[in-house]
Order: sequence, then structure tokens, then C-alpha cells
Amino acid sequence: MAKHLINIINPFLDKKGGLMPALHAVQDHLGFISKDNIGELAIAFNCSQAEVIDVITFYDDFRLKAIGKNIIKICQAEACQSQNCKELLHNLTSHFGLNINETSNDLNITLKEVFCLGNCAIGPSVMINDMVIGEATTEKVVNQLKVINTEE
Amino acid sequence: MTEVTKIFIPNETSANSVGANLLHQIIKKINNDEGIKIIRNGSWGAFWLEPFIEIEKDGIRQGVSYRNIDLSHLNTIEEFFLDFESRNPFDINDIDFIKKQNRIVFSRIGNEDPLNIEYYKNTNGYQSLSTAFEIGPQETINLIKESGLTGRGGAAFPTGIKMQTVFDQDSSLKYLACNADEGDGGTFSDRLIMESDPFALIEGMTIAAYAVGASKGYIYLRSEYPLAKDYLLKAINIASDNHYLGNNIQGSDFNFEIELRIGAGSYVCGEETAMMESIEGRRGLVRSKPPLPAITGLFKKPTLINNVVTLATIPPLLLKDQSNFSKIGSNKSVGTMPFQLSGNIKNGGLIETKFDITLNEIVEDFGSGTQSGDPIHAIQIGGPLGIYLSSSMLNTSLTIESLQELKGSVGHGGIIVFDNSVNMAEQAKFAMEFCVKESCGKCTPCRIGSVRGVEIIERLQKHKTSKEDAILLHDLCETLESTSLCAMGGMTPNPIRSIIKFFPNELIEK
Repeated sequence: MAKHLINIINPFLDKKGGLMPALHAVQDHLGFISKDNIGELAIAFNCSQAEVIDVITFYDDFRLKAIGKNIIKICQAEACQSQNCKELLHNLTSHFGLNINETSNDLNITLKEVFCLGNCAIGPSVMINDMVIGEATTEKVVNQLKVINTEE
Repeated sequence: MTEVTKIFIPNETSANSVGANLLHQIIKKINNDEGIKIIRNGSWGAFWLEPFIEIEKDGIRQGVSYRNIDLSHLNTIEEFFLDFESRNPFDINDIDFIKKQNRIVFSRIGNEDPLNIEYYKNTNGYQSLSTAFEIGPQETINLIKESGLTGRGGAAFPTGIKMQTVFDQDSSLKYLACNADEGDGGTFSDRLIMESDPFALIEGMTIAAYAVGASKGYIYLRSEYPLAKDYLLKAINIASDNHYLGNNIQGSDFNFEIELRIGAGSYVCGEETAMMESIEGRRGLVRSKPPLPAITGLFKKPTLINNVVTLATIPPLLLKDQSNFSKIGSNKSVGTMPFQLSGNIKNGGLIETKFDITLNEIVEDFGSGTQSGDPIHAIQIGGPLGIYLSSSMLNTSLTIESLQELKGSVGHGGIIVFDNSVNMAEQAKFAMEFCVKESCGKCTPCRIGSVRGVEIIERLQKHKTSKEDAILLHDLCETLESTSLCAMGGMTPNPIRSIIKFFPNELIEK
């Protein structure tokens, strides 16, 4: 097993039900969960590869290939619906020229939809990585992306 | 010379979503006075005011809403004070939105740095854990039973009875699982506790674990709440350092530890059996009940499962001088309920109040009507599986009983306001679409029925008068309700039926 991976998942091997936190950790470090990782995780957690794939594919957050450095999640739940989030989604997808679950060619951004960010009193809401934007507009989202890209 | 001693700038998701972090950076940068302490407090839950910055001056605390106000041109802290004074600062406790509430569980939010354990202790914190240690597990459970507390996650099951069941199990290993997978659209009360008063949850969990005999607790937190994760991890560490978690808590022989688990974007994992599957490291497929989790739960051991607000409500119940909780309300609707007012609303936020309050009082007296200024057309109560009420039903009381009569539920207390631009047929379709997206796939009616439901509603959108489709939708709803294992499939018909009933001709024309 690659030394790198074992270091990442080592803290979770002795935990009951440690596969989920291990998957989060792999993804946080490596960006996604590769085919090789799946084989290694199966050995480490003493389960079949099918079981690992089973878990990965059930959850929206886990992914099997690289996506954008910045993940933009546009809330489409009821409270944001009342604040025209469908229009916002339409504006953002056309601004970036991407559909939902698509990644830009330069791997800078991925657009996703999400159902509730818990920011329901000041919607519509968009989350860029770990940051929630309230009363979101295309302009606010684009500006925040600029800030992130300059900071890097 | 300045008399200002403290500046409060909230660090909470909603406040940060409209610029609190940015304002903090600016004010921190220009503050060259060592005598002025900048505190990142929690939010008061009056979200339309955020970012609400407060200043304590000569012991008097007043605040100003800095929504959409840029301060980047300021050079000195004195300039900031001048700007602040020019904006008519006021005491948040003087506004009706706060004054009219009955804050028992949310009494601390907004006041201080949520990680200030000294403040927590000085405001009755950890008194109830001492009480529990004094009176013992059974007496603690008795007090919770007598309080009338029911689960605030959605199902409203009596908390004390659940605890008694776990207590009665003969097992050397028991678990506590806190459901922090607050996935209902339009809800944020759990998030607010975790971000603005995390020790309240930790103390509540510790008391509950002591009462039922659990030695290990999990918090299953949704991944959409990164700031809550940050606060919880820090608060768990601080509690451990202060011997409120770990071995021999406060010199007793009680051991209890908490592990934080992060979800991965699945709504159905808020269902307790799916949540257990997820904590055990599998797909979030729901389990059949029985066996009840209280008997055979996590890792096949007896497990107490409650949501965040329920657990955070336990400490106030055990306070000697403050048993007000049970005196509020009647029947099932005892105590306070944190309603979360959101959507197209002028003044949205967290409203902790008695259950027996009308929808009109919530959306007009607290909320001041729609944000758009257009008339209210519909209000959804209780999340994606909750019913829609029409504008003619604003005198509905929000008790558990009165919503049950309307074939709905208070659920987790979410109240979402829609103005007259809403298309109710679209909302009905969304209920089915959401079920398509979030169904765990175990039960056929939920997995496939929801797909058929979307198709039927799409046909009805073209031909509202189709009798055939109206009957088909009715039958489908009945099948979903009576043959699904969990509330996901079982309650998906609720919003749809309410639209058919309370919004005649908007989905189906007779």
C-alpha cells in the first residue's frame, strides 16, 4: 500500500465504522478517491472493494474523479425557492457555461446543487468551499471567486 | 480616551454569509487600543440584522446592523465609533422580535464567545449535570419524563420514555447518538445551538448519557455545516480539558466521551436508522423497526438517539430555580419550540416561543410580512415533508395537535413563507423530485413511486382536469404513505395532499 494513503487513513482503522471518516480524509488530502485507493481501503478495512464503492456512490460528497478546486453549491431547497434560487441557478450556470455537476476545463470550479445550507432566513444561499454567501447574486459569487483566486 | 471596552462581532454562518468576517478583519486591523476587546460572539438569531455589531460602553451594550455597509475606508477605531454612533445603536433586548420570545433553550446565544466556558458556567451552565450526579440516573429520567419534553427533531416522541427504555436495557455498553443532520429545508435551530452555544449540547448529551448509562456519544453532523464542526471540535476539547468529558467527570465515577462524525450530503441520513448505518460506515439505508434503536441500536447496542435541540433542552429542565419549561403549553405541546422563520420574509430568524402561537403572529408580528412586499400565498411548516397552508389559514395554531389535525406536523419547526409568485404545482412536483433525489432506495414505493409521482404531476401541470391522473396521484400517495419503511416515503405525500386540499385548482382542477 502506498505509504501516503496509510498515513491518511491510519487514525480511522481502529475506529468502529471508520470507513466514512477515512473516505473524507482521503478526499480532503487527495481531492478524490481513486481506483487504487478503493483497493487499498478495502484491504485496510477488511471488506470487499464493492463495499467501499457502495459507500462512495451512496453519498453526494464522495467522488471518484477530480473536480474543481472550488466547489460552488447553489441551494435549491424550499426557503431559497421562495427567493428565486432557480433563477440564480440559471444565471450562474449560464455565467460559467457549466451545467450542474460539471467542472470547468481548467479544473477551477465545479457547480453543484445542494438542499439546504441552514441559511434560510437570508436566502438565496450559495456555498463556495466552506463559505456561505447569503442574499446571493451572480455578482457576489463571481466577486468571492475573484477574492479566492487572488489570495492563492 | 475612550470608554468602549468591548466590540462584539458575531461569528456564525448567517452573519458571516452577509459579511461579518470581513467586518471583523477591518475592525481588528484598525483597533490599536489594547483596552478594547473584540469578541466573536454567537448570533442572536435575528438574521435580518446581521451582521449585527455591538459595542459595550460604560457597561451598556448596544448594536447596529451593518448589512450591506462597507467599512473598508476607515483608518482608525475612533472613526468606526463615530460611524457606529451615527447609526442609532439600540439594545437588541429591546426589540419586539427578541422581547416577545420565551428563550429558555436559546437563552445564551448571541451574548458571548460561544467557547467561553466561564461564561457558560456563570449562566447556570453545568449546574444541571451536578444535579443529575446528585439525584442519580433514574431520578434524572423521572424529571425529564415529568417535564413533558418531546423530541424536537420531527417525530415528537416523549424523550423521558425513550430514555427509560435505554436505561432499562441490561447491557454493559450503551451509546448516545446526537442527530445533527439538520437537513430539512428552512431549518437552522440545531446549527445555531452548535455554533452559538455548543456547551449546552455537550452538557445535555453528558446528562442524557449519564442517565441512560451510555459511555460513548456520537454527534452525526451534516457536512454542510463546517463552522458548526469547527465549534464542536473546539468545545469538545475545552470540555475535556475542564473534566466535563472523559474519565471520572468532575470527580464522579462516570466516564463519557464524544466523537464527531461528519455526514456526506445525504438527506435520508437524518432518519435515525439510516444515520446509524452511516455511523457504522455503510450506505445510509434505513433499517426496519423493530427492533427499536433504544434496544438494538448502534453496533447492535442500546442507543439513545435525539436531535441537537432536544438534548440542549435537557439542562434547563434540571435547573432548581427555573422549572418554567413545563408550565408552558399543554398536552403534547409542552414547553418552548424553536421555530425557524425563513423564505420570503422581512424579519426571519430563530423564534423560541410556546407552541400555541398562531401562524399570523409568527409571520406578521415577528416576521413583519414578506420581504418582497407582495401578499403571502403559502407557508410550508415542518420541512420538505411538511404541509403547505394557504394565506386564509393564518389563524392556525402551531401546536403539535392542531397540525396533526391538518395532517401535517410541526416537524423540526421550520416555517417557510412564499409570496404570490409561487407556483404550487411546482412545489408539489418538487416534493416528489426531492424524494427521487434523496430516497435511500430500499423501499420500492419511495424509490420508484416518487419517479412516477413526478411524471404524474408533470402531466397534471399540462391538464389540470385529468381525472385519471388525479386518481392515480391519490392512490400513489396512499401507497407511499402506507408501505414505506420510514418518513421519507411515508410523509412525502403530505405536502402534495395539502396543496390539493388547501390550494384548489392550483394542481388539480375539479
